Amino acid sequence: MAKILEGPAMKLFNKWGIPVPNYVVIMDPDRLAQLGEANKWLRESKLVVKAHEAIGGRFKLGLVKLGLNLDEAYEAAKEMIGREIGTSVVHQVIVAEMLDHDEEYYLSIAGNRDGSELLLSNKGGVDIEENWDTVKRLFIPLDETPTLETITEAALEAGFTGEIAERVAKIASRLILCFEDEDAQSIEINPLVIRKSDMRFAALDAVMNVDWDARFRHADWDFKPVSEIGRSYTEAEQQIMDIDARIKGSVKLVEVPGGDIALLTAGGGASVFYSDAVVARGGCIANYAEYSGDPPDWAVEALTETICRLPNIKHIIVGGAIANFTDVKATFSGIINGFRESKSKGFLENVQIWVRRGGPNENQGLAAMKKLQEEGFDIHVYDRSMPMTDIVDLALNS
Amino acid sequence: MSILANKDTRAVIIGGIAGVNAARRMAQFDFLINRSLTVQAFVYPPEEGQQKEIYRGGELNNVTVYSSLAKALEENPQINTALIYIGASRAYQSAKEALDAKGIKLVTMITEGVPEKDAKRLRKYAIEKGKIFNGPSSIGIMSAGECRLGVIGGEFKNLKLCNLYRPGSFGVITKSGGLSNEAMWLCAQNGNGITSAVAIGGDSYPGTDFVTYLNMFENDPETKAVVIIGEVGGTLEEEAAEWFGKEIRRIKLIASIGGTCQDVLPQGMKFGHAGAKEGKKGLGSARSKINALREAGAVVPETFGGLSKAIKQVYEELLKSGVIKPEAELDEALLPALPPSVQEVMKQGDVIVEPLIRTTISDDRGEEPRYVGYAASELCEKGYGIEDVIGLLWNKKLPSREESEIIKRIIMISADHGPAVSGAFGSIIAACAGIDLPQAVSAGMTMIGPRFGGAVTNAGKYFKYGVKEYPNDIPGFLNWMKQNVGPVPGIGHRVKSVKNPDKRVKYLVEYVTKQTTLHTPCLDYALQVEKITTAKKDNLILNVDGTIGCVLVDLDFPEYSFNGFFVLARTIGMIGHWIDQNNQNSRLIRLYDYLINYAVKEEREVPEKK
Repeated sequence: MAKILEGPAMKLFNKWGIPVPNYVVIMDPDRLAQLGEANKWLRESKLVVKAHEAIGGRFKLGLVKLGLNLDEAYEAAKEMIGREIGTSVVHQVIVAEMLDHDEEYYLSIAGNRDGSELLLSNKGGVDIEENWDTVKRLFIPLDETPTLETITEAALEAGFTGEIAERVAKIASRLILCFEDEDAQSIEINPLVIRKSDMRFAALDAVMNVDWDARFRHADWDFKPVSEIGRSYTEAEQQIMDIDARIKGSVKLVEVPGGDIALLTAGGGASVFYSDAVVARGGCIANYAEYSGDPPDWAVEALTETICRLPNIKHIIVGGAIANFTDVKATFSGIINGFRESKSKGFLENVQIWVRRGGPNENQGLAAMKKLQEEGFDIHVYDRSMPMTDIVDLALNS
Repeated sequence: MSILANKDTRAVIIGGIAGVNAARRMAQFDFLINRSLTVQAFVYPPEEGQQKEIYRGGELNNVTVYSSLAKALEENPQINTALIYIGASRAYQSAKEALDAKGIKLVTMITEGVPEKDAKRLRKYAIEKGKIFNGPSSIGIMSAGECRLGVIGGEFKNLKLCNLYRPGSFGVITKSGGLSNEAMWLCAQNGNGITSAVAIGGDSYPGTDFVTYLNMFENDPETKAVVIIGEVGGTLEEEAAEWFGKEIRRIKLIASIGGTCQDVLPQGMKFGHAGAKEGKKGLGSARSKINALREAGAVVPETFGGLSKAIKQVYEELLKSGVIKPEAELDEALLPALPPSVQEVMKQGDVIVEPLIRTTISDDRGEEPRYVGYAASELCEKGYGIEDVIGLLWNKKLPSREESEIIKRIIMISADHGPAVSGAFGSIIAACAGIDLPQAVSAGMTMIGPRFGGAVTNAGKYFKYGVKEYPNDIPGFLNWMKQNVGPVPGIGHRVKSVKNPDKRVKYLVEYVTKQTTLHTPCLDYALQVEKITTAKKDNLILNVDGTIGCVLVDLDFPEYSFNGFFVLARTIGMIGHWIDQNNQNSRLIRLYDYLINYAVKEEREVPEKK
């Protein structure tokens, strides 16, 4: 799943003939003044300025400003760029033409196991949730393209009439093309607006997710996906992602502020069960972490050091199932080095470490981990005979 | 009994090194249960025609790599299963070909990061063809006592610990690869082990689902209960619950669902497998799955930790009701042990191996190379130079400061002698022909022999003989040489003479005799010889080879090492010539006709062949 920002989404819409308003993405307000000299629409239309970042609830944060002229847009951009919101900083804003319109529609498409589903409503805009019952759904089987007649019929059923129904169907057919050809997972246009005087349509806002695994067949994808976790990545998360992109196997990290149980767990499946076990016991996780696919020891070491630096942690859960091919001895040597390094830097004071693991070279790996007791670590080591998530119970009962 | 994979399974692996590693793991299982090799062929165009070495216990098998699936199947028609390990960008095409192949019934994709659309299409295609497409991102399929597909089950020791050498009564279906192994272990520890275990992969749209395999397990009489491990996202677990609740099923169902933590995490925060994400309005949440499964009558412990107890409880009930007959424990000692490698056995001191070669000069098994015991970095640190390394590696001694200075000078005065001589000229011709450095230098090097530069060893050797056998009888030495060897090596020069001495010889002799305290019996002897030979003929002087040979005798180097000094020194020069020609971007050269005397027959007609 890879969410992309509005700018790149608009670019893809343009490519597939979905009407979009005029827009520019800028990093420097002065650039807007220059663009204003070159583009009539910037001088003559009402404008909307939005922070072009993966920040939820932009409207409430004052990161969306509507109905501005060019000078006001300049001021708004100047005010937004550089603003810090939590861990995020606004680097870019998108300035778009605010089309005077008569009606707002809703148009979306999302993949499912057997194909995809097109959603249409003539009651779009902020009220769509309330009007969810009016949404007309059209199932599109995998690799089939519905005819324009079929889509028009769906549009009529959704309450569109006459020429508008035909035009909406045409836009929807292009949306389907864009969805199929760009390996999208979902696209939501809300609102799709119409100015009836000249029958001009425009997708005023778009949320688009593309399949990042398919990027090998999209040479023109010049964007990066935005954070998948509802906020922008922290420095530590970014650092681990950079390592992840370079290695065989994987290392992953998500910070969860406020928790006191740190996870240093192995495997995409098991790691989630460890988080569940903490939550089920009433604990709070300080992070989610996962390493798998027999990653190199230095990558696990970097992940370990990052986790040891999390604030206010009381326990570290070094958990994992019985590995199929991840070498326990090798990955544990990375963790052990990470622990030693962190301790020498003053971390891990009053932190208890709980270990449970099995897999290739488990005996050597667990023995090496156990030896850390001699170096003054508060560490508890268990082998495969300990049920996988029971170390969480032990930690929380200690 | 089992599902999907059994004793008749014969597999082709499509992909490179990861596939070969999997084949090796699979062969370990083949060895454990004493079945024939599961992997019969590889398909990987870049390595077409190669054979991969696969050990089944101590038995070495060579498995062929084909450039296409069609070719692999033509030569191995017994293949009925394909494992896809090839990269995500080619995985779709490979799997489709496999699904098209007539004899292949099951395609399991291990490849991760496959685009969703590709997986969706493959799923649909497999259904149309009436075949099974398992994966992507599957760790494989295990049928205890019958067949292993992929690295599922981990290392050899674990195969035994999880009782995978013989069938039990539990089926296992998981999304996660790591947890498939954990589940097999739990079934062995708390029950009697598994019949089959399938990892369907944690992607958003796996090719198969829990229901597909639940149906198969329901129809497999040996399977009495099934453990499924699911997670948040999608609706496969709900479908499994619906299947289980729809009618009375023969098998018991135990389930554990991951992702309940997402209820309390900050909104939008998702992690785990690609497919592990909640849909709109809580659709596919872990909690809704747990509820659905419980309502359908499955045993669903609150946490993963409760799975052990749940399996044990179901097992004991099945034992009690007689559905499962208790089986005598197999003595693990009866199971074969994986033959250790020679290295492993040697480490334990259980075997004596006669070494193939012996070295007395260097060892790089430690952190850094050691020359006759001395660490290279420490030699550098303490101010030793290349001359001392030569002393160590050629003569196993650290030279004294004076000796080092002499060695250094020998190399310096011999490094190059202009482009006209055979060695340099050879390298230059090669360089002009566009030959790379090592080969061009070798071309020059091949010139070193009896006529060019190769006289150092023999000069040293015979002067040393003279010192020993004819200490005060130079005419006697010369006479012996005349009768037994011929011209004295190291004596004589084409252009230099008494009147026109070789400056290098003069310098080296003066340096060694006047500026060092080296005892030089051999050099002194050669100079005496020179006095007599030059009296006979002006150019029969002690030449540079002779001088170096004698000095090296006096330095106590082994006599067969002497030519090495010339070879080493000239290598510097030849490399220089190669670089020089390359810098100049020299063209290919050939001899001008006027430099050749064409002493050949006149043009004439070729006679008919008799």
